[in-house]
Amino acid sequence: MRKLGLAIATLAVAAMTVTPVLAATELTVFNSKSEIQTQFEEEATAYSDAAGVDMTVTMSNDPVITHMGTKYSSNDPYVLSMVDAKDIYSLTPEHGIDLADLDAAADTDYAIEIDGKVAALPFCVEARGVMYNKTAIEDITGEEFDPASVATLDDFKALLDKLVEGGMEAPVAIMSEDWSLAAHYIAQVVEEQEDPEAYVQALCAGEGDIINNEKFNSLMDTFDVLMEYNYAKDAAATADRNTSEDMLAWGDVAFMFGGNWDWSLIVQSESDSEMGMMPVPQNTDDGTNEKLVGGGSKYFFIDSSVSEEQQQAAKDFLNWMAKDADGQDFITNKCALISPYKSNTLDVADPLSVCVKAYADAGSLIDNYLFFPDDHITMVGASMQKYLGGKIDRQGLADELTEYWKGATPIAH
Amino acid sequence: MKRNTMSYKVRQYLMFAGPATLLFCGVVVIPLIYGLYLTFTSWDGISTTKPFVGFANYAAAFGDGDFWVALGRTLIYSAIAVILVNVVAFLLAYMVTRGIKGQNFFRAGFFIPNLIGGIVLGYIWQFVFNKAFTAIGANLNIGFLKNSWLSTPHGAMACMIIVAVWQYAGYMMLIYVAGFMSVSKSLIEAAQIDGCTQSQATWKVIVPLMRASFVQCLFLTITRCFMVYDVNLSLTNGEPYNSSVMAAMHVYRTAFTNRAFGTGQAEALILFIVCAIVGVTQVYIGRKGEVAA
Repeated sequence: MRKLGLAIATLAVAAMTVTPVLAATELTVFNSKSEIQTQFEEEATAYSDAAGVDMTVTMSNDPVITHMGTKYSSNDPYVLSMVDAKDIYSLTPEHGIDLADLDAAADTDYAIEIDGKVAALPFCVEARGVMYNKTAIEDITGEEFDPASVATLDDFKALLDKLVEGGMEAPVAIMSEDWSLAAHYIAQVVEEQEDPEAYVQALCAGEGDIINNEKFNSLMDTFDVLMEYNYAKDAAATADRNTSEDMLAWGDVAFMFGGNWDWSLIVQSESDSEMGMMPVPQNTDDGTNEKLVGGGSKYFFIDSSVSEEQQQAAKDFLNWMAKDADGQDFITNKCALISPYKSNTLDVADPLSVCVKAYADAGSLIDNYLFFPDDHITMVGASMQKYLGGKIDRQGLADELTEYWKGATPIAH
Repeated sequence: MKRNTMSYKVRQYLMFAGPATLLFCGVVVIPLIYGLYLTFTSWDGISTTKPFVGFANYAAAFGDGDFWVALGRTLIYSAIAVILVNVVAFLLAYMVTRGIKGQNFFRAGFFIPNLIGGIVLGYIWQFVFNKAFTAIGANLNIGFLKNSWLSTPHGAMACMIIVAVWQYAGYMMLIYVAGFMSVSKSLIEAAQIDGCTQSQATWKVIVPLMRASFVQCLFLTITRCFMVYDVNLSLTNGEPYNSSVMAAMHVYRTAFTNRAFGTGQAEALILFIVCAIVGVTQVYIGRKGEVAA
C-alpha cells in the first residue's frame, strides 16, 4: 500500500515538474458568410498544419450582433471575426485592435478606419446591379448583347419589349425579400446622392423632400419598369430568391436585380448560359447609370482581449490571406470571390465577379452607404414590399420613407 | 434526532428539493431578474457597459405603436386559433374514442404534427401554400388557389391559423381523449336509461365532467399562441410588409435587429404580463365551475 502511495506521489511530482508540450496557438474565427463555410473549414485545416496554429471556423445564421453578443457575454470572444461593415462601427471601438501595422492594410483601398485607426480589413469586393442572361437575350434578339447599349431606361424598356415580342413572356424577376428591396435597391437613392451623409442628415431632420428627389424618381421609374415586366407581377411577394435565380440561369427571364454574391445560388442550376451584371438603367446623364454600387465587403477585426500570441496569429492569417499565394488562391479560386487586395492579381472565377472586377478596376463603383439604421431593412423593406404589391403608390412610398427617416438614427460613425 | 428544528427542515429541503431549486433559480429566477434589470439600461447587446436609463425603455415600449399593433394582431390570431384548435381537437378526440376501426392509428397520426418542430413545420407549409396550392389552382383553374395566400395580409394570418390548428390539434386531442376516457361509463349508461339520447349524454354529462380537460387545453393553447415565434419566422417572417409580425417577433426584432435590448426586454415583460393575465383569468374562471362525478 505504501509502495502504491509512493508511486502515485512520484508520478504527481513528475507531472508537475515536466515541462508541458506547448499547445498550438488557438485561432478562433467567426465567419458570417455562410456560402463559403465549407471552403473556409477546409482551408483552416490546411492553414493550421502549415502555420502551426489551431484554427477553427464557426458560422452562425443568427444576426451578427446577437451571436457576437452571446460570445462577449460569456467572455469567450473570437480571436478573429468576419462581420458586416456596419457592425464594425459598433464592435471595434470597444473590442478591436489597430490593424495599421499589417502588410495587408497597406495592400487595400477598402480598409475601414475609425478615429485614425485601421479597425477592419475586407474579405472581398462585392457589388450590386442588374444581372442578365446574355445567352437568353441573344437567342431572342439575334444580336450580340452589349449592356452599355441599355444604360438608359428608354433603351432598356425597348429591349424588354423586344424580348416579349420574341416570346419571353416576362423578362424580369424581382426578389421580394426585404433586404434586397431595402438594403440593396432603394438604398441606391442615398448612395447616388452627391453627398449621401448630408442627404441622410436632412432626412433625419425631417427636411428631406423624397417625392421630388431626382434620384428617388429616377430609380423608381426603373423599378416601375421592372415591376411591369416581372414574371411574378400578380403575386410579387411570393417570388422567392431560389426560383427567380433558377429562372434567370435557365433564361426564363433575362434580367434580375442582385449582386455577385448571387452566383453561389445561380451556379447550382448548372446552366451553361453566359451571365453578366450591369448598372441599373436610368434616364440620367450624371454617369450613375454606368456604375455598379459596391466596394469592400465582410470585414475582419481582431479582438483586443485575447492574448498577444492569438492576436499575432490572427494578423499572420490576414497577411497570408492578402499576400500569400495560397491565401490569394483561397479567396479568388476556392471561394470564387474578388480579392480586395492589390497584390492579388489572380483572375476571378465567376462571370458576375468578372463584371464587378472590371467596374472596380475602372473606378466605376459607387460607394456603399454603411450607416443605415438597424431597422432600415425591416421598416423600409416593408414599405417597398407594399409598393411592389401595388398597395401604395409612389407618393405613398415617399410618405412612408419620409416618416421612417424622421425617427431614424443612423449607425454612429 | 429532533425533527422539528429549523436546521433539520432546511437540511431535508436541501436534500430533496435543493437540486431542483438550484436549477429553477439558474434557468428561471435569475434570468428573469437579470431581464428586469436590463429593462432599466440602454445596453446594445455587445457593450461592456450598461448605462442606467430609468423607465425610458418602458416609455419607449408604451410609445412603440408597432408593438401594440403586433400585440393586437396576436390577440386576434390567438382568439381564432384557440377556438379552432380546441374545436378540431375535441371533434378528433370524440371520433377516436367511439371505437372506430384503427382508432389508435388515427390517434398517433393526428399527434404526429406536434412532434415536428415549429421551424420545420413553417417551411413545409410555406412550400404547400406557395407551390403546391398555387400549382393546383393553376392546373385546375381554381381562382382562390391561383395566388399564394401568403402574399396578402389576411391570407398570411389565415395561413398562420391553419398551421396552428395543424400543429396543436393533435396534442390537445390527446388531453381530450384522456378526458373522454375518465368519464365513467356507468354515468353515461345511467343517463341513457333515464332517456338521454347519445348527443344529450355527450353535452349534458360527458362535456361538463371534462371541464378540467377544457381548462388545461385552453391554457396551453392560449399561452402557446401568444408566444408564437418559430412558425411566424419560418412561415411568413412577418411578411407581406410586416403585416404578420406577431408580438414575440416584434420583441425579437426590437432587441436583436434594432439592438434596443432594454426596450425589447420591456416589451417582452409587457407581453408576459398580458399573457399571464389572460391565462390565469381563463384558468380561474374555468376551475370555478368545475364539477366532479
